[in-house]
Amino acid sequence: MKKINWKKLKETDWKKAAKDFWYGKPHGERRLGDLYLPKTGLYKHREWRGVKDTLYYFNKIWLYNYGQMVMDIMKFGGPVIFAKGLWRYRWMGQTYLPVLHWFDRGLEGLRGEALRASAWHYRAMTCVTIQQFMAMFRADANLHGGQHNEAWKHSIAHKETVWGGIFYPWWGEYQNIPLEMIPYFVTCHVNNHTVLNYIDAVQSIGLPGDPCPMCQAEAGLFVLDDMPDYAPFVITSNEACDGSVASTAIQDWFLNKPLFAMPQPMQFDDPLVQEHCANEIREVWKFIEEQTGTPFSWDKLKEHLERQNELMRFEWEKWDVAANTSSYPINGVAQALYRIYQSQYGDNFIWHDTDKRVRKILEKCVAQKIDTFPKTRHRVIAWSCAPLYFSNWCTWAYNCWGLNTIINMDSLMFNMTIRTDNLDDCVMDMARYHEWAPMRRMAVGGMHHIFELWENMERFHCDMVMMYDQLQCKGMQGVHGLFEDEFRARNIHAIWMPHALPDKRTVSRSEIRTIINDYMTTVMQEEPLDPSLLDFDDSESW
Amino acid sequence: MRDLKHLIFFENLLQEANNDLVKQARNEGKKALGYTCYFMPEVLLDLPGCFSVRLRAPRSASPDMATYYMSGRTCHYGRSLMERALEGGFNFLDAQMATETCTVTCRFQEHLQRMDIIQNPDFFCEFTDVPFKKTENSVVHFRKQLQAHVLDKLHEKFGIDVSDEAMMTAIEEHNEVCRLITEIGSYRKLDVPTITGYEFHVIQLVSLVCPKYLILPYLRETAEELRTREPDRKPTWRVKVALSGAENDDPDFTKLIESCGALVVADRYCYGSLPGREEIAVAEGQPPLDAIARHYLETSMCPRFMPQDLMRGRKKYLADIVREYKADGLIVASNKFCEYWSYERTMDALILPRDYGIPTCSIEKEYVNSASGQLRTRFQAFIESVEIKKIQEGAKK
Amino acid sequence: MGKVFKFLGKLLLIIGGIYAALFAVFFFDLDGKALFYGVEPMLVKHYDKMPRRDPLKQMYETEKPSYEYKA
Repeated sequence: MKKINWKKLKETDWKKAAKDFWYGKPHGERRLGDLYLPKTGLYKHREWRGVKDTLYYFNKIWLYNYGQMVMDIMKFGGPVIFAKGLWRYRWMGQTYLPVLHWFDRGLEGLRGEALRASAWHYRAMTCVTIQQFMAMFRADANLHGGQHNEAWKHSIAHKETVWGGIFYPWWGEYQNIPLEMIPYFVTCHVNNHTVLNYIDAVQSIGLPGDPCPMCQAEAGLFVLDDMPDYAPFVITSNEACDGSVASTAIQDWFLNKPLFAMPQPMQFDDPLVQEHCANEIREVWKFIEEQTGTPFSWDKLKEHLERQNELMRFEWEKWDVAANTSSYPINGVAQALYRIYQSQYGDNFIWHDTDKRVRKILEKCVAQKIDTFPKTRHRVIAWSCAPLYFSNWCTWAYNCWGLNTIINMDSLMFNMTIRTDNLDDCVMDMARYHEWAPMRRMAVGGMHHIFELWENMERFHCDMVMMYDQLQCKGMQGVHGLFEDEFRARNIHAIWMPHALPDKRTVSRSEIRTIINDYMTTVMQEEPLDPSLLDFDDSESW
Repeated sequence: MRDLKHLIFFENLLQEANNDLVKQARNEGKKALGYTCYFMPEVLLDLPGCFSVRLRAPRSASPDMATYYMSGRTCHYGRSLMERALEGGFNFLDAQMATETCTVTCRFQEHLQRMDIIQNPDFFCEFTDVPFKKTENSVVHFRKQLQAHVLDKLHEKFGIDVSDEAMMTAIEEHNEVCRLITEIGSYRKLDVPTITGYEFHVIQLVSLVCPKYLILPYLRETAEELRTREPDRKPTWRVKVALSGAENDDPDFTKLIESCGALVVADRYCYGSLPGREEIAVAEGQPPLDAIARHYLETSMCPRFMPQDLMRGRKKYLADIVREYKADGLIVASNKFCEYWSYERTMDALILPRDYGIPTCSIEKEYVNSASGQLRTRFQAFIESVEIKKIQEGAKK
Repeated sequence: MGKVFKFLGKLLLIIGGIYAALFAVFFFDLDGKALFYGVEPMLVKHYDKMPRRDPLKQMYETEKPSYEYKA
């Protein structure tokens, strides 16, 4: 039996201990890094955030979300088809079971309203993810003995970079499901082990290792025969880059279904390109009509665009609060992932439910002038595309260094509402919307777009840049030196964060943390808020 | 075979972007217009009063300054162009007619736009948007783009005559170049070709980098010479191969393959003639710009095209070339960091042998092929395997 | 009446017990540990040895329709 350390007990400040128990330890004394088990990223025990916030986390996040996940599965297809899908697809079983750990990583250290608002974003993303994989499984010929059932006939497959709004005219009758969003994109955030199988698979057939690993993984899903067969035809796009266009050729080989390519122009500032782009949208609608035999519905398009516009208007309100106050209750990772997911996937009931809840929290924070991230030392803008396997770096950076990520580049895409008073204007706006897609709005069509960083830094009152350095993104690598020049000329503190999008083997999470640590200690000459987070081994973690 | 009379002259023209013929044309008051991609119709840049120069960075070494700007993880070709520009090698350009058709060349051209690199006070860089399909919507779009970003700009900045008559003149001259190159290239289809892959590569390149009106007399003479050229009694090659792939403006690369024993009989790559040297047909009553826009979209076989029929049709096109040129095998080469050709090459290497029975060698290369020893080993092994296959097929017969 | 209270008491006790057990699972990250050490390795083993189609055997038809519409 362990001996009682009477000396330590005597020295204990019980008043302080009681306070810590009740309110949680203050930032600076938490030592969150001590909670991890070596390598795995698992917790010896989950964080004690004080009575109120721990119970909130337990009841309204952990229990609630496990419960909701079960409910969602029942609601969107039932346990049998879920189990079949889980057994058949690696990305399903290996990735989505530990989803609550994804919550944990993103929400570490959060308290009060920030914890609540950020967690609601996570809940929404989980719900939409379940909707999509259940829709895939319901329709999947692989899970139905090769039979093409009614769900298969009523599904539309498309590249994840095709905006969901394109399919609003068939809302309720046909369900559009992005090919890669669930099997690839979301998996990387939740469990970064899964995607490595797909990258290796595509390289095993001869693809070199240097193209964008995102596109590699997307093609690898097909090479590894891990893609459901859930729809009779496919729609593709040239977003976001050359790799996306090129990898579609491999996907098309293995899909072998009627395929319509819907490209967007590169030089999108040019007023001359808009009509061409709008015509591509009109053509894809004709293609869908031809394939489904179901006519285009303007009423449905209008209705859902208006609903989507509502989401955009609230997003602007959120940005306004983020830019001009210290009462913005959403942390960097929740803001980034929710925004990119919502704006790319398109209208869904859960976004509206979430926005209602978040609005209440946001209004409360503003009205009561709650300082939601009180240990903020630097307001950070994150630029370029983020490491998917370490999207929660911003949570870590706030806890460890007080680096508060206010906004990121991909959140600023799709930055518009769409006119719905007549079809012609509407299609022109939809064309523009598509041209402003993630990884595209700032990356193509002229360098001035990528240098919109400076005006956004000013707009969001940021004093520091986290410059993502996706090592295999040719577009961003191709502008590296000019950024260096500009940072120097403008005297801006920028930390280059090298990464390989989904592939943690190129630059590990630990290496990323070391780079940030080194900059903060050597250049900024600052002390960490939580030294236990400086260096820990999470090499095997999800 | 007897040496081609102008081969050394042609080789010399490829030693510098600002070669003797370019200098001569500029001295005659013509405007030098740079471009990198087939999607920028060279014929429009060859309107009376100006001439096209497809950019190369011959004799490049390590692109250190460009690597600062574009990192070491982008295509070596794009970086070499950037390095050459920073060194002052493109200061003769009056304009760069740019396209955003692959990321790294786009970034290179954006640097020309943003930084004061080209030391020529009149220099400008103008981008044209290029569609990803060959549909009517794409043709209309491309035509509008060419009008606004090429013709209008050339007229506005340099007073170039962009009338239909001027365009017809440029098309006639362009078509003559295409006819000559096609004729010269056709000797590669012979059982025993009377031109080497290296010679053809050099000739094709000079037709891209020199003012057309100045190179034409030499091309005419070379075509004439080839009409009576006799092949070697005993061929120096063991097999014939088609060469396909990404950007390749390095005749020494072709020479390397040929030195290993394979004659290169077809050039289906960026800067090659298949496709690229087809004549532009203008129907009666058709505006020449319309014919040009259609021609460049219809003839291109770039892996950038996204429609399903085009993606798949490219494989058949390549197989047809191999047959038409009586090649025994195929070498597919992509430049390191080239996204398009990484995938295209992977698929070619899987599909061409399987579906068409074409032995295929798949390699990755740099713009400057310092690793020629490794490549040589690869080529030698491939050539041996093709030879063995041929012997086995002969024995079966 | 007493029986009802007794039943409710028991029910509360059971619910309380379950709640406390769940809290223990939550607080000590037992769900994470079970998934990491038990479920994931088992599933990975299953996926690794699963028979899969070889997509490279899929034929590659080069004649496909051209989809073009008058917009």
